[in-house]
Amino acid sequence: MTTDVCLVLEGTYPYVSGGVSSWTHDLIKEQPHLTFTLFCLVPPGFKTKMAYEVPGNVKEIVRVELQKLPKRLSKVGEKRKQKLMQDLIGPLLKLQTDPSLEDLEYLVTLLKEVGEIGREVLTDSPEAFDLLCQMYEKTLNTSSFLDYFWSWRSLLGGLFSVLVCPLPRSRCYHALCTGYAGLFLARASLESGRPCLLTEHGIYTNERRIEIGTAEWLDDRQSLNLNVDQRAVRKSLRDFWIESFIGYSKLAYQVAESSITLYEGNKELQIEDGADPQRLKVIPNGIDYEAYSRIPRKQGGRPTVGFLGRVVPIKDLKTLIRACSFLKAAVPEALVWIMGPTEEDEAYFEECKELVAHGGLEETVLFLGKVNIKEYLGKFDLLVLTSLSEAQPLVILEAGAVGVPSIATDVGSCSELLYGRPDEDPQLGPGGIVCPLASPSAIGEAMIKLLGEKELYEQCSRAIKARVDRYYRKELQNQAYRQMYDELLAMPDVDTLARVGARLPSEI
Amino acid sequence: MAGIGFVLRKLSKRDDLSGLFQAYAYSALISTGPWMFTIISLGSISYLAGKFTTVETLSEFRRVIIYNFSFSLVFSAPVFMVVTRYLADAIYRKDVEGTPGLLIGGTALIIGTQLPLASAFYFFYAQISTGLALAAIVNFILISEIWLLSVFVTAIKDYKSVLLAFGTGMGFSALTSAFLVDLFDLIGILSAFSLGLCLTVALLVARVLAEYPYRFKEPFAFMGYFKKYWEVALSGVTYNSASWVDKWIMWQAPESDHSPTHLFLYPNYDSAMFLAYLSIVPSMAMFIMSVETNFFEAYLKFYRDIQHKASLSEIKENHENILLSILRSSRNFLVVQGAISLIFILMASKFFTAFGVNYMQISIYRFGVLGSFFQVMTLFINIILSYFDCRRAYMGLQGLFLLSNAAFTFISFSYGFKYYGVGYYLACVLTFVVSSLYMFHYIKRLPFHTFISTNASVG
Repeated sequence: MTTDVCLVLEGTYPYVSGGVSSWTHDLIKEQPHLTFTLFCLVPPGFKTKMAYEVPGNVKEIVRVELQKLPKRLSKVGEKRKQKLMQDLIGPLLKLQTDPSLEDLEYLVTLLKEVGEIGREVLTDSPEAFDLLCQMYEKTLNTSSFLDYFWSWRSLLGGLFSVLVCPLPRSRCYHALCTGYAGLFLARASLESGRPCLLTEHGIYTNERRIEIGTAEWLDDRQSLNLNVDQRAVRKSLRDFWIESFIGYSKLAYQVAESSITLYEGNKELQIEDGADPQRLKVIPNGIDYEAYSRIPRKQGGRPTVGFLGRVVPIKDLKTLIRACSFLKAAVPEALVWIMGPTEEDEAYFEECKELVAHGGLEETVLFLGKVNIKEYLGKFDLLVLTSLSEAQPLVILEAGAVGVPSIATDVGSCSELLYGRPDEDPQLGPGGIVCPLASPSAIGEAMIKLLGEKELYEQCSRAIKARVDRYYRKELQNQAYRQMYDELLAMPDVDTLARVGARLPSEI
Repeated sequence: MAGIGFVLRKLSKRDDLSGLFQAYAYSALISTGPWMFTIISLGSISYLAGKFTTVETLSEFRRVIIYNFSFSLVFSAPVFMVVTRYLADAIYRKDVEGTPGLLIGGTALIIGTQLPLASAFYFFYAQISTGLALAAIVNFILISEIWLLSVFVTAIKDYKSVLLAFGTGMGFSALTSAFLVDLFDLIGILSAFSLGLCLTVALLVARVLAEYPYRFKEPFAFMGYFKKYWEVALSGVTYNSASWVDKWIMWQAPESDHSPTHLFLYPNYDSAMFLAYLSIVPSMAMFIMSVETNFFEAYLKFYRDIQHKASLSEIKENHENILLSILRSSRNFLVVQGAISLIFILMASKFFTAFGVNYMQISIYRFGVLGSFFQVMTLFINIILSYFDCRRAYMGLQGLFLLSNAAFTFISFSYGFKYYGVGYYLACVLTFVVSSLYMFHYIKRLPFHTFISTNASVG
């Protein structure tokens, strides 16, 4: 069976709910004329439980547990194993420092030549242990061997599981992040000769960097070494991790016809990781403009500010509550509604309530709990978003479609949404105010300004509504993907290596 | 976020490489204790009781005792080996509050399993009076209980109070037998021995409870270990059968006493072998000490350094040190035990004259000394292997010893008197050669085994 599109998913749809998952769910539903394969990478030992009802045009679901290579009863001789490992070491080392598709192809061929093998050869044999030791000696030979061991098993185990698993047959491959999914995309491109696409919501390597940077178990004896020169020269295990992921990303960028993100800001990070600027694209997420724009707006009444989102630390509600003290001083009758579930982090919720009481804001700040967004969008004048991290918050667009301007911190695409992309033509003007992170005074001033200056408020309201209407409609997003899929499906089979090779000069 | 995030966090907790193995090591000691106890108590009782009774009564007494030692050891081995393992784990976890319960549970299981076995044996197989059978069954169960208790007292490592308990018990036996042998003859002397064992058991139980003064709880918590560590249970039976199988076979020899009780013995073979075993006592003590110091230090350093973020070159160095310490211990052992065995062989005729032993036994004895030389070397390897928790291999090697000892003894038996003892000797050599090859092969790849094949977190 050959499907039209193979979606390469890592740790998300259809098993885990969340932003990327519902995006994927919608994508499949909006392309009913295409058939899909879901290639799902899941953590080892993951209990499969569907979080979504998969649409009918999904014809195949392939599940691969990362790092958990199948145990096969392969009868590979000792000599053969030794030779395999000797052949593997070169390309594996290069994959971390200077990844190339040639090496990946060589790896895939090597693994295929041996026949059906699993972890009994690749990770659990004495020969594989020797390979691990040799790679250690050649790279991080003074770092903790135990940590290297686990890192190796995790990283290389992941690599092997992605390279030896069966390749579903599809007419094009679409990965929804880099990492192992991106690595698989590169393999699929090499093996099938079919075109590939990459969509990144968050930037994988960036998120990994944060995660690896805070992983205490990786603290090496070296990092305790205060001799700066030595530290700068010697590589650490953290580099091993990050460089591996950057390597996988680079390969994905090389094979993808286009690498898509949600907003301009991400491009820089992608280019840093080796993406070709020529083939980077921005397709923002869209909303159902028609439905939202019909929501009636409140007329008169107390000036009301709304916050829509979970009450959790990353949304930095404390900054909002502190800003409300400024607001109350200037606009005593103002109301602030905090709308969103509070049970995820009870302790944080308690702290927020204490802060409200402490500021004497009980009459101003109200926690409404989880609400029906569509019901409330017309009932407040201004949306405030104080998040410490966002990608492309849809709530700004949803409020914008109603005509509600926003105040947002300068994270993700917020500034793009409120001020327009650099190439916006004609320029529609600001749809709100962007503030620095964690600044109660800036947020407070912005609220006072927008609620106080009638004319500015109306301008922002019109601008954000027009911007959503023009650029952030769901139809536009769907159309863009439909068009892209059509192009990919029409492409002939290609020799990936030759194609990428021909493109290379432009990248340098 | 897309991507699998929790892999890293999971990794950080996967640092359970280090050996809880060291705690298992003493289980190897357990297997040597019973032998010493058997030989020493047989010798001393025979000597003491000989003063009060006839030669005939004494030999009938020895007959029952040898059968009891032999079969109680084999039949109760699964219980005490599994209890050893359970106790070792509890000690390693520093969670010893269940020990009194374990003692009760183990005792209940010993009685529950040994009573029917011993009863069947003495009532249906042996042709002896009901009174003697009853006394023999009681004695059988008491000896089984001693095997079980030896697990606990070895863990405490208070050898002084162990000696005291046995000394007091055996002294009491000697005293009471003086009275009882006059009244009840054979049954009397057997019961006196049992009374002494009762006292020993009581003292040992008191010592164990003094060490672990906790409430009795969950006496059968260890039952799950039978499933989890079936290899351990099986190895216990195999090892102890292997140590006795040549005697069992020789009891069927034409020269054996063919006693009408059906409890055949071949005193010439048995006492030659028992005497031969004495040759390994001194070096065993020395040797266990050398394992405890040299090897154990190298062993601990190997695992600790891995945990403390050692680099591979440091790990390799520690690995080499383990090998070196084994080689050094083996060399010392070889020299010392070699010398002792040589003395035992060369001085055989002097010993025999001094102890008044039948000269018939001298060739069996010489093969016995040679064989036990290799058997104790194998024991050394077993201890090392138990440090690395090689359960399967251990089971296999014990199986090899059992089979080869049975087969070779059977062959040497069919060749006639001149070859008696050769079978045991050859089996010991074979087991030693295979065991040492296996051990060196295993230790050569120790880092691999540590990180992959015996690492519970891998897979």
